[in-house]
Amino acid sequence: MHAMLDAMATWLRATQVSEAIRDLPWLWPACEIAHFVGLSLLVGVIGFFDLRLLGAFRRVPLHAAWSLVPWGKLGFAISAATGVTFFVGAPDQYVNNVAFYAKLAFLLIAGVNAAAFEIFYGGTVKTSVATDATPTAFRAIAIVSIVSWFFVIYWGRMLPFVGNAF
Amino acid sequence: MMDFLAALESSEFASWLRESGSIWAYPAVLTLHTLGLGVLVGASAVIDLRLLGAAPHMPIEPLRRLFPIMWAGFWINAVSGALLFVTDATTKGTTTVFMAKLGIIVLAVIVVATIKRSAFGHTPVSSNPPMSVKALAAASLALWLAAIITGRYMAYV
Repeated sequence: MHAMLDAMATWLRATQVSEAIRDLPWLWPACEIAHFVGLSLLVGVIGFFDLRLLGAFRRVPLHAAWSLVPWGKLGFAISAATGVTFFVGAPDQYVNNVAFYAKLAFLLIAGVNAAAFEIFYGGTVKTSVATDATPTAFRAIAIVSIVSWFFVIYWGRMLPFVGNAF
Repeated sequence: MMDFLAALESSEFASWLRESGSIWAYPAVLTLHTLGLGVLVGASAVIDLRLLGAAPHMPIEPLRRLFPIMWAGFWINAVSGALLFVTDATTKGTTTVFMAKLGIIVLAVIVVATIKRSAFGHTPVSSNPPMSVKALAAASLALWLAAIITGRYMAYV
């Protein structure tokens, strides 16, 4: 497994696009800035919607809170794109790093949770003018969302401290 | 001043934070600083985006309860930021970028407080706020972006 991952990392690192990412000295810091801007948008907008699902901000109709969610998705897209750039630029820093896999696992949980909410309840939420409390399923999804995004940030922050450092 | 910064940096506590290798030391403080950033800037951005016209059907007044959340994020970052500072006081304390970052954050807090007064005061702001309020919201977003840029830059000094 390790040998295969190392071989993949070596191959990816030797590609032209990987080399180009490392050759532009401003690109990595610029991506770090964008990664944190995306993180802030995601935490703010998705966190706000989660709190609404948990019963806070009840005077905000659910459909109105939901209409801000695309901004949270934009934040995710920014962080995802810059995250992929980090990985392509320096795959060797990630493939043997346990924090990287922990972060991916929580990203998967957060993503499946969000997709499940949208698939099963997206229609209901878009037309909901309700300003009262929300069902237990919504609350459970909100808690999974908050906890999993917290651990995405936690393991992201741990990346330089476990395994091979940056 | 330099003596004071050096004393801070070489204190037993700063050394423990920096060198213990415990995940409860430097990494935990850094995680808190990232979390506080997300909470403070994220909650501020929700208000700013709404004031600028996003999610037009969302009533503005209930968003006033985001302010205590922003203050929680602010204090998490003030405390975790002070801890990060003492680990590297002689470098950070003499860097222009760090002073710029602090100045930007002071400005951002003033802008946010002004938003609270003008859009969440006694007379509720209309669903489509006046230009002056939108300008404040845009300034808030720009200042937080500048705070993130200078903050990230601190990792390179």
